[in-house]
Amino acid sequence: MGGDNTPLSNTLASVLDNLSTTSSGTLFGIVAATGIVAATGFALTFGQAEVKGKAATELLKGTSLREDEVKEHWEEYDKYFQQNAGEGVDEKQKAPKLVDTFYNLVTDIYEWGWGQSFHFSPAIPGKSHKDATRAHETMIADLLELKPGQKVLDVGCGVGGPMRAVASYSQAHVTGITINDYQVKRALHHNEKAGLKDLCTVVQGNFLHMPFEKESFDAAYSCEATCHAPKLTDVYKEIFGMLKPGGLYVSYEWVKTPKYDKLNPEHVRIVDAICYGDALPEMRTYLEIVDAAKEVGFEVVEERDLALPPAGPWWKRLKMGRLAYYRNHVIVSILSFLGLAPAGTTEVHEMLYKTAISLVEGGETGVFTPMHLLLCRKPETQETPAVAASA
Amino acid sequence: MRLLTHNMLACNIKGVTKGYPLKIEATKTEEKETDFNAGFLRHIYPKLDWKALREAAASLGLEELPEQVEPSQLEDEDFLRRFHHVLLEIHLEEGALVCPETGRRFPVSKGIPNMLLNEDEV
Ligand SMILES: C[S@@+](CC[C@H](N)C(=O)[O-])C[C@H]1O[C@@H](n2cnc3c(N)ncnc32)[C@H](O)[C@@H]1O
Repeated sequence: MGGDNTPLSNTLASVLDNLSTTSSGTLFGIVAATGIVAATGFALTFGQAEVKGKAATELLKGTSLREDEVKEHWEEYDKYFQQNAGEGVDEKQKAPKLVDTFYNLVTDIYEWGWGQSFHFSPAIPGKSHKDATRAHETMIADLLELKPGQKVLDVGCGVGGPMRAVASYSQAHVTGITINDYQVKRALHHNEKAGLKDLCTVVQGNFLHMPFEKESFDAAYSCEATCHAPKLTDVYKEIFGMLKPGGLYVSYEWVKTPKYDKLNPEHVRIVDAICYGDALPEMRTYLEIVDAAKEVGFEVVEERDLALPPAGPWWKRLKMGRLAYYRNHVIVSILSFLGLAPAGTTEVHEMLYKTAISLVEGGETGVFTPMHLLLCRKPETQETPAVAASA
Repeated sequence: MRLLTHNMLACNIKGVTKGYPLKIEATKTEEKETDFNAGFLRHIYPKLDWKALREAAASLGLEELPEQVEPSQLEDEDFLRRFHHVLLEIHLEEGALVCPETGRRFPVSKGIPNMLLNEDEV
């Protein structure tokens, strides 16, 4: 799992690890027992003051949202989504607002359970998740042929796991943009801790309207982020505009693979569930992303699904993590019950749990991939983009 | 945020043609020491808009940077230290960045610039 776990989550996790290896109680029994053990755990480890103090506060509340806000955001989020046979959400233009809401809800939980990189990577035999994650990230630097001192744009940077890997590996300067202000805070905090604050910058903004000088970046990348754009050409066009002529752009895209059959209800169900659980306006096909890149003027240099064999299954981690998810879910439920986590956190966590199952199904059936690689170049001399001609 | 970040930001409201550089309105700045790395400065120098950096420094009342930088200066530790200080050690904590063309203010709070546009601006 990695990341910097708080003492609280460590303690609880170990308490629960011990617990879950003990025998076959009923679900209720486990939950009840866990509640008591966990509560005792708090008291023993931290003493009263600290239960109410920093550790608990940092884990789940008081960081991004006030108590009442989680519930509110959750209701807003839930209401917004209508599961529309393979079509994603209705009002696509609202996606940025929706995404912001989504990340207010899940950033803490992601970081806690997943570490600082909010993306998948192919499993590498004999290597840890952490190493596999890092390999997937440094590959970006290799594909972009980054050199020290170059200026690189990270489109949809999350809390900055990929940014720190790319910057430290290449010594290029990375500027991240994310729509969510809480993620900016977390990213800045991690950059500082990693000693990378000179090489990494983060701003809050919308990647559909980027606040940078035109043609000021040597290269750009997006790691499982442009899937959130209501219209892919809008974000690609924006990235194209920020790049210097000749600049490379690489993206890991979430797409429906050639195996996806829109007449197969199972496939449709799986993809709909993924959209719902990850705040996606719609799921594109692997062909659509290539078309979108060409449409805005990019030359497509390379394009392939990094999840195809011999790559190890990216969903393995989720599958192995089911127990951990369940365990986390129990912790979250208890924290909510004890009033330590904001109301609504349980629902959010439940959603993430269900999403994890859909993602595994997407991976196992092969109808979905979160890592379709797209490597493009902005031409040195600009011709009129194809869109003008074809429109 | 540092002046390095400021150096990259622009106002891209629809129709704006001269949205760079943004003016700085500072209500609170902080000085935070950071390790001196001459290599980094030499690398980043050609990527900067020097005039924008110089004006930003002046608007915050920092010590003056030269109008032009000669290649030899990038070997001069004295100069590099001044450059380092202005680029990396001065943080705008509270205030705003203002579009030179429209006067639109982008708030900076706790060191984070909020560059989100409103619906009618895009
Ligand atoms: C799945 S996360 C990936 C984060 C990061 N690239 C990583 O791999 O750790 C998607 C990211 O896209 C960002 N995002 C989505 N829509 C955005 C928008 N319209 N403008 C800016 N960022 C956006 C989210 O805030 C989030 O940080």
